[in-house]
Amino acid sequence: MYRLNSIRELEHLRRQLVEERKTFVTTVMTCGGTGCQASRSRALITAIRNELIQQGLDGKVRLRATGCHGFCEQGPIVVIEPSNIFYCHVAPDDAFEIVSQTVARGKVIERLLYTDPVTGEKVHTESQIPFYQRQDRQVLSLNRLVDPCSIEDYIAAGGYLALAGVLDRVAPEEIVREIKASGLRGRGGGGFPTGRKWTECREAAGDEKYVICNADEGDPGAYMDRCVLEGNPHLVFEGMMIGAWAVGARKGYVYVRNEYPLAVEHSRIAVQQMCELGLLGNNILGTSFSFDIDIARGGGAFVCGESTALMASLEGKVGEPRPKDVHTVVDGLYHKPTVLNNVETWANVPAIIRNGSAWFASKGTKGSKGTKILALTGRIKNTGLVEVAMGTPIRTVVFDIGGGAVNGNAIKSVQIGGPSGGCLPVTKFDLPVDFDVLREVGSMVGSGGMVVMDEESCMVDVAKYFLGFLQDESCGKCLPCRLGIDRMLEIITDITEGRGTLKQLDLLEELAETVAETALCGLGKTAPNPVLSTLRHFRSEYEAHINGKKCPAGVCKALITYSIDADKCNGCGVCLRGCVHEAITGKKKETHNIDARRCQKCGICRSECKFDAIRVA
Amino acid sequence: MLQYINVSIDGAVIRAVKGSSVLDTAIEYGICIPHLCHVPYLSDIGACRLCIVEHVDNGRSQTTTSCTLNVQEGMVILTNTDKIRKLRRNLAELLVAQAPNSRAIQDIALRCGVKEVRYPFRNENCVLCGRCVRVCTEVWKARAIGFVGRGKDRHVGHPFGVRPQFCKKCGSCIQLCPMTITPCEGPMKKGKEHLCSQCESQLMIADQTPGNCVWCKLGEGFACGRYA
Repeated sequence: MYRLNSIRELEHLRRQLVEERKTFVTTVMTCGGTGCQASRSRALITAIRNELIQQGLDGKVRLRATGCHGFCEQGPIVVIEPSNIFYCHVAPDDAFEIVSQTVARGKVIERLLYTDPVTGEKVHTESQIPFYQRQDRQVLSLNRLVDPCSIEDYIAAGGYLALAGVLDRVAPEEIVREIKASGLRGRGGGGFPTGRKWTECREAAGDEKYVICNADEGDPGAYMDRCVLEGNPHLVFEGMMIGAWAVGARKGYVYVRNEYPLAVEHSRIAVQQMCELGLLGNNILGTSFSFDIDIARGGGAFVCGESTALMASLEGKVGEPRPKDVHTVVDGLYHKPTVLNNVETWANVPAIIRNGSAWFASKGTKGSKGTKILALTGRIKNTGLVEVAMGTPIRTVVFDIGGGAVNGNAIKSVQIGGPSGGCLPVTKFDLPVDFDVLREVGSMVGSGGMVVMDEESCMVDVAKYFLGFLQDESCGKCLPCRLGIDRMLEIITDITEGRGTLKQLDLLEELAETVAETALCGLGKTAPNPVLSTLRHFRSEYEAHINGKKCPAGVCKALITYSIDADKCNGCGVCLRGCVHEAITGKKKETHNIDARRCQKCGICRSECKFDAIRVA
Repeated sequence: MLQYINVSIDGAVIRAVKGSSVLDTAIEYGICIPHLCHVPYLSDIGACRLCIVEHVDNGRSQTTTSCTLNVQEGMVILTNTDKIRKLRRNLAELLVAQAPNSRAIQDIALRCGVKEVRYPFRNENCVLCGRCVRVCTEVWKARAIGFVGRGKDRHVGHPFGVRPQFCKKCGSCIQLCPMTITPCEGPMKKGKEHLCSQCESQLMIADQTPGNCVWCKLGEGFACGRYA
């Protein structure tokens, strides 16, 4: 690779790469994201590569290990171009068949195709799968075309053209105006208008400014930032460079969790490649723009996703938030003006510059523009990453894309926005995914985690889980967050263990409001949301725990008893053998019994029983 | 030369020193805002949140700590609204439930209007206000003590748990600690904690003074406006 000294050299390189790629007719794309790697996609990639060499096809067929395709439920995923055949749940042993049948002869292997759960028909290509059909993939669309470890792939796909374009002929003020006009809002949780942030930073006094990419994603059930950064790091970095040029920064930091090893590795490779090509360093592409990116690894503290705590951590101090009476765009990293944006926000920037603000603003609602990546998890059929236009109803996401609940259960609620978000009941499912609308009903878009819960989930227990998470992750600096969450958890634990009173419920509500109003940072201010939203939409469940000493969903162990339905039990003895506490007695072919004193309510018998004879009440 | 600007605190237009905090300005003019972690000559971290005020800007009111908020020309601050009093009372209740064994904390609770404690008492020895840590770090530049751990496990300790040589036992940390002042009747035993500040002498003042000021000993230490 040689250093690019001008914008024309970049364009020349791109044309060259596109020509080179035309000589390959067939491309095998295998998902190499973390989700698929957990299902042995690395072994699969090696197996396909070996198979291509053995069958003498390695010169004619390209094998590309891409980033996440989004449909993690079905991984590992293999897509074969040019006919776009989509294989799911592929094992390394399938490599021979895929190469000899599909790649060499173009024959489709029926058993590896995706089966539509509604019609039961086999589906050949990605675009015919309902999961993909309802989406509007903008940020994620490049993931399948690009090998994250290859800058050539990204350039061939039109990468760094947006950057070259702005460096060539657009004034920084013009970029800020364009971002402002697009209506892009921060994708990390707050939803702060990105254009306003950039304007304020640009206008702030001082020569030294910084841009930071926040990749310290830690919400339970959310992983969109990980997938974007590990699937297409160059897209994020291009966005950062455009932002840096716009606000006048010369240095950028990517703060990524160390628990995302693949994202760290891919970002480091990407930075290395950019340096070699001269896309980082002094006088990038022969212009006056100089920029550098450092990859900083986070130590796994959830609170370090908060902007001031993140900056403290970058400075080498303890990752604790500080008061933000002066905004970080004026007084940020090393007390210099700093723009901090989330991975997804940065990843949206190149497309806005390339296609114009009007294109971006044409998607979405009045207050929220563009698309949003949602991580769909929980008790749902199709888990995975979903990118939809803002304003798409929750119902569409959960039922049409997500395919509804597993086991045919009824869906009760969806928890949006991670621990800081709130739970919404089914009656609110017609609401759109929109920053302002969701905030009004006590939830938030947040980072975009969507945890779907069915009737077997107890909402009090859910609130308890999130409070426990936040108590662990609170830095403990300010009083309301440290003691307030602790006391809320104490009260909720009382309620789930049958000691709760209605008076405590009022106290819980009052305390939650106090914490939300007085806490120091965003973590504390949003920490009561799980409690407040469940209290608002599922108050009857709290009351059932307190008044009836019953857990309607059968989750809270102190309030439930296990028994055996005499009509359904045929005495097979599976539960008896499964019970580790030896609480079940009974003779073969006769109705069994559970000894309530010995029963630890672990639920093993219930999951073992094939006749649904174990009752929980 | 000092520059002055005008700010409005509770309706009074006050000439404040540019660059000073709202809390310092208010105290200077005898407007009492309860506070715990603020010490005049140390930096402010906004940890105890007791000094919250309403900052009205463009018709929107925002709750923020007055110790970390610097005065600006034309600023409108409300320190004693119903909302602030309620929030402050709830915070003081959390505080006194955590550490009832200090007259300073008990006085703050009374001053903030706590009439009953709705949580089980805990009788902790430290409320993590960070006064000791900051005086050691900022005044003596010793760093002999600091915060250790996160969240529930956060506590004040020596580096690696051993008292270092450079701790000269100057005692500044003890002097500033609000937990060193025991309640009038002596330390409370575990299980015997209660909300004190119920004795008549204090209640009399509390009922008659706006904002429930009880002229507490802690206030004296803070250079509270009422003692000036």
